[in-house]
Amino acid sequence: MTDRNTGGTEQSPRRRGQGELEAQVLAALRQAPGAVTAAWVQERLGGDLAYTTVMTILTRLHAKGAVARERAGRSFEWTAVADKAGLAALRMRRVLDGESDREAVLASFVTALSARDERLLRELLAQEPGDEEH
Amino acid sequence: MGVFVFLPLVLPLTAWPIARLAEQHLHPRAATWLLTGVAGVLAVCSTLCLALLMVVGTAQLPGNPLPDGWSDPEVREAVPYDEVAGKVAIPALIAVIASCVRAAWRHHRVRRRAERALEGLPATPVAVVPDAMPYAYALPGRRDRIVVTTAMLTGLNSVERRALFAHERAHLTHRHHRFLLTVQLAARANPFLRPLRTAVSYTAERWADEDAATQVGSRRTVATAIGKSALFSRGAPIATLAHATGGPVPRRVAALLGPAPAGRIWPPVFTAVGMAAWAAAAGTTASALSSANSAITLFFILHAATPM
Repeated sequence: MTDRNTGGTEQSPRRRGQGELEAQVLAALRQAPGAVTAAWVQERLGGDLAYTTVMTILTRLHAKGAVARERAGRSFEWTAVADKAGLAALRMRRVLDGESDREAVLASFVTALSARDERLLRELLAQEPGDEEH
Repeated sequence: MGVFVFLPLVLPLTAWPIARLAEQHLHPRAATWLLTGVAGVLAVCSTLCLALLMVVGTAQLPGNPLPDGWSDPEVREAVPYDEVAGKVAIPALIAVIASCVRAAWRHHRVRRRAERALEGLPATPVAVVPDAMPYAYALPGRRDRIVVTTAMLTGLNSVERRALFAHERAHLTHRHHRFLLTVQLAARANPFLRPLRTAVSYTAERWADEDAATQVGSRRTVATAIGKSALFSRGAPIATLAHATGGPVPRRVAALLGPAPAGRIWPPVFTAVGMAAWAAAAGTTASALSSANSAITLFFILHAATPM
């Protein structure tokens, strides 16, 4: 949902670019010797990106939980939390959150339960006790 | 012709009882095929009818590029309330086309974006992603994949995981996304077909459940796997639709705990269910045929009115 709201006016090529940049920044952070500053990341990426862009991407990654930050003086020092698989999970989550009726596209293993469903389900499963390991 | 011209637009209503019966009494595979086919045919007839009504409507508008013959009194006589019907048909058809294009485009966008999200991971048939939110999806594409989170896997024991993978593989091998896309487009072409969409998304799940049960060799294991994952996924935003009445998950579990569905395609005639099913099937067939008939008749009238 959030991606859709904030990125609603952007064109998809630009959004794709954001995803790639996130992966690049995360990869750079993972190669860092420890907690590093945004300037270090910017330098590591070859300096093609503006400092503000790097900051924006780091903030986005932080919002997703892919990186952690720590205040060091007047700026932040950043460390990677997620790896490739973690970033894939975050991206996947973003795809799923962005689609209100994704059931129509991706068949989910289970769908949401209402309170009544839950009670029904517990009753059904209770009829077959202790048979989960067979 | 009279009001029969409008039949294809309302006849999808007659598919409701058959959706109900098929869902409950047919093997899920047969039900999925049948209901998707019915939805497809009725949607095409309905859209064709709308397109022809639109032609009658637009032919009256000044400055239109259509043959003059199409606004002939003869043609307009074939369509009752032609002025209103024709003009209503224009925005309706535009809305249908826009909605269908949007749905198809979104379908492809979700698949493309999901595929891209997994780029960088090893190209294995199962992509396990570390996430505290339990979910599992079958992702059709150039390389079919199953996406499952670590949270989902930790909640299940090894047999239940096999059931989960078998279920998702069944979605992929039977190309369930095509059925789902068809009924989704049909529901957008004619809102009366929405119950068929709901029915097919349920029967497709049931089909995958039964397939998984055969693979794993235990219907109860599949039932437990579904039940457990639904219970621990509770609260996770896996679906935005709230089910007012008994939702699909308890029904799937109940179906798996019950007897296996008969392999036969259709219930025998001389039972209550059989009679009802045959009556509903006959009704639906008649509707589909008369829909097609109305659409074709209108087409011929227009064709005859056009000097070739």
